[in-house]
Amino acid sequence: MNRNTQKWYDKPVTKIILITIAFTWIFPVFGFVLSSFRPGEAIKRESWWDAIYTGKLWTELTLANYSEIFFADNLDRSFYNSFAVTIPSTIIPITIAAFAAYAFAFMEFRGKEPLFLLVVASMIIPLQMSLIPLVQLFKSGVEVFGLPIIPALDINGTFVATWFAHSGFGLPLATFLLRDFMMSLPRSVIESAKIDGASNMTTFFKLVLPLSVAGIAAFATFQFLWVYNDFLVANVFLGVYKPENLVVTSHVSQLAVGAYGEAWHLRTSGAIISMIVPLTVFFSLQRFFIRGLIGGAVKG
Amino acid sequence: MKQQKQQEKLKSIGISMLALGFFPLIWFLFQAILFRELTEIISRNLLVVFALIIGSTFVFLLFLGMDKIIKLSPKENRESLEARMFAGPSLFMIALFLFYPAIRTFYISFKDRYSNDFVGFENYRWAFSDPEMLVTIRNQIIWLVFVVFFVLLIGLVVGWLSDRLNKGEAFFKSIVFMPMAISAVGASAIFKFIYEYRPPPLTQIGIINGIRVSVDRLGTQCMNNRIIDGVFNGFDNPNCLKPIGWLQQRDMTNLPFAQNLNPDGFMSSILVNLPINTMLLMVIMIWMFTGFAAVVFSAGIKAIPAEIMEAGQIDGASELRVFMSIVIPYIKSTIIVVGTYMVVTVLKAFDIIYVSTRGDLETNLLAVKMLDEFSKYRNFGRSATVAVLIFVCVLPIIVGTAIRERENTQS
Repeated sequence: MNRNTQKWYDKPVTKIILITIAFTWIFPVFGFVLSSFRPGEAIKRESWWDAIYTGKLWTELTLANYSEIFFADNLDRSFYNSFAVTIPSTIIPITIAAFAAYAFAFMEFRGKEPLFLLVVASMIIPLQMSLIPLVQLFKSGVEVFGLPIIPALDINGTFVATWFAHSGFGLPLATFLLRDFMMSLPRSVIESAKIDGASNMTTFFKLVLPLSVAGIAAFATFQFLWVYNDFLVANVFLGVYKPENLVVTSHVSQLAVGAYGEAWHLRTSGAIISMIVPLTVFFSLQRFFIRGLIGGAVKG
Repeated sequence: MKQQKQQEKLKSIGISMLALGFFPLIWFLFQAILFRELTEIISRNLLVVFALIIGSTFVFLLFLGMDKIIKLSPKENRESLEARMFAGPSLFMIALFLFYPAIRTFYISFKDRYSNDFVGFENYRWAFSDPEMLVTIRNQIIWLVFVVFFVLLIGLVVGWLSDRLNKGEAFFKSIVFMPMAISAVGASAIFKFIYEYRPPPLTQIGIINGIRVSVDRLGTQCMNNRIIDGVFNGFDNPNCLKPIGWLQQRDMTNLPFAQNLNPDGFMSSILVNLPINTMLLMVIMIWMFTGFAAVVFSAGIKAIPAEIMEAGQIDGASELRVFMSIVIPYIKSTIIVVGTYMVVTVLKAFDIIYVSTRGDLETNLLAVKMLDEFSKYRNFGRSATVAVLIFVCVLPIIVGTAIRERENTQS
């Protein structure tokens, strides 16, 4: 069916509804973005729509807010911190999950089915269920019947804590998605590689990993945006009280909860800087992101 | 001969313990302790560089190291050892970071605030009797009903209508989908700017209050503190409307149009008690997640065979009829999946409330309450109880989806 020839498509009503919705969606951002280019005093003196109306807006526009928030208010430090949290928190779970997915897809071992069921089941555990014990674990270790399995590490407030927390929360989904993806690869190719005497390591690195790039990219995009935009885990494991431990989201939240009074010029510019990275990733990798998102519909 | 066999067996057990137990533990501890010490001694910028290097490479060292150790074992054991080495770290981390904590949270929820003594169901009794908790549960239910409903509804409308455009489909979907990429913290900041309230003599910079105070009433020209030809035009005239602190309004009683309502009537009492700040906060979440629903629905609608749609048209069904009788039943399973996702997301909603109101003014949600009890009041027992409540709400939904999924794949 050629939809272009259909008359009842493309009715003006459709367009009006869609344009209304799109306008409603973009409108909140519009005034916000505009205000980020206005001096702090001007924002408070005159509302942005009045400034457009009176024409004063065009003389006010400045980039000073951005340099102030970025350099004077140390958002650059939070920015680097965000990367120090996000990139390892993406790479670690993907690597570990890719190995596990390979094992579940192509290797034989005892208890394979029940163990995989365990992975799937762990997806239902909400993050909130793990927070308290995990904080205690990172602080004072684990003892089982008086036998210390993990000693007291006291790593809360360091990046390592967030890496492992995010890895733990991301692993079930990553293992599940990548195993699904690897199952769809042609089995004969992998089997013939094994017959040719390639070790599992070689097959994994030379054959399966390159073939799974699309699946890995889907999860990587999803996990990257999830960790970068995350506030809860950063709040709990890095804390918001030490300024050198802030990541971008917690920094923006500090701005927004009112610690800075009515500093709307910093709130707007700070929030917009924080959005640049995810929006870039989103628009360049939209296809992968949506795929990861649909797969991640039940993430814990 | 027998002795040799035993020796072989001992050796392989030793190697497997070394490779799968000892080495990963050392790896984990080394990484943690190294980083803890680095945090103390080196400068922040250098620390970030180290974090990127260590964080992205150490995980490969783990597998390469295990591989090297396993290579020492006799050949016939290697296959099973390798399988355990591939799957082991994932399973171990899931067990340590998800299953163990979840069980422990259950356990803690039956103990007192310092996890010293058992208190039985005391924390659960608190959860369903404390006035603050009751408000939190009420809010959670309101959020679940309205957010899920509106996300599905607007998502369906956008997904269906944008599919009918000849061009610009991707454009519309991108606009609605865009908020999904930004953080909830950023989204909350955006909407806080819209709901912004400033005490009356000051200029209203939030658009809702700005429009409200600029409405001309009773023949008086009201203006939002605008200077025209050197003359100051404010809204301090008693005839003009006063701005409203939208996020501070826990019900409608302070709003002018609700003041004349009879609080004893059924409908009007609902209207008076409408938690306006909670409603406005829900808008943020609807704004964020509608695009996701729209994109997923749009993919589902595209998969509907053209013949079915055409048949509907030929039979003279109206568009609404086509939508209700063909589109909705066809993508029913997609709607359920998105609905499930939204329910789970709303149950774990945290950032919006935390950033906008900090859970005050009767806007609290379970996830925020959980963190408040944990880090503000330091009551681990109650915090764990709230976490268990979230889990108990999530559990049947996801299990139900899994069972339905299974039935679908089998039939």
